[in-house]
Amino acid sequence: MIDARLTDLPLDPAVEMSRFMGKLGEEGAVVSFAGVARPRTRDGAEVERIFLDHHPRLTQRSIDEIARAATQRFAVSAITATHRFGAVLPGETIVFVAAASIHRRAAFEAADYVMDRLKTEAVFWKREDSVDGSRWIEPTDADRAGRARWSE
Amino acid sequence: MDILFFGKLGDRIGREIRIEPPPGGCTVRELRALLASLYPAAEADLTSPSLRACVGDEIVAEDFHVGAGRSVEFFPPLSGG
Repeated sequence: MIDARLTDLPLDPAVEMSRFMGKLGEEGAVVSFAGVARPRTRDGAEVERIFLDHHPRLTQRSIDEIARAATQRFAVSAITATHRFGAVLPGETIVFVAAASIHRRAAFEAADYVMDRLKTEAVFWKREDSVDGSRWIEPTDADRAGRARWSE
Repeated sequence: MDILFFGKLGDRIGREIRIEPPPGGCTVRELRALLASLYPAAEADLTSPSLRACVGDEIVAEDFHVGAGRSVEFFPPLSGG
């Protein structure tokens, strides 16, 4: 089961997790991740909102491809990835990812892989609006290194 | 020729503009130079190697020839999650 979705509505990780687990069968492991909008910039300024620009077709295509690739690469039976677009307030969930498998290792790795690729390859552009002004975020060296781990 | 900008360039220039391309179209490289002359304040971003061009929902190379009637989208570096 592959379920990759975009939403401009608030995202509740508990609801997403419940929905995901309701579709599972005999898996023995479920791993989930929620990415949450931070209240402060790296310089400590108060964040007013995150704005995620997206593409009308390619954003959905990119998250579909990333989720599908995870199911092909790891022994997982189900993957879900839901990503916000538009305005996201501090403390709100930006992205929720969950993976299910018979044994835990594959589910951990699949969720990690999906997040590394979402950070660097999903078709989004992220702007941080703070009391000090606005800044467009680009992937960090750590984000690129995270993605590169899966190319080995 | 319709040009769409996303991310930082969408903020700076606007989501969509229409320009008069050279007769017969131009390459992506030539289009970047043309746009940089029209928007000198955004020249650094428009000529950055990290900016990618997309035609027909596919990323295209610098020497890709864009017909006069096509739309071109420009993507700054992606950042999701």
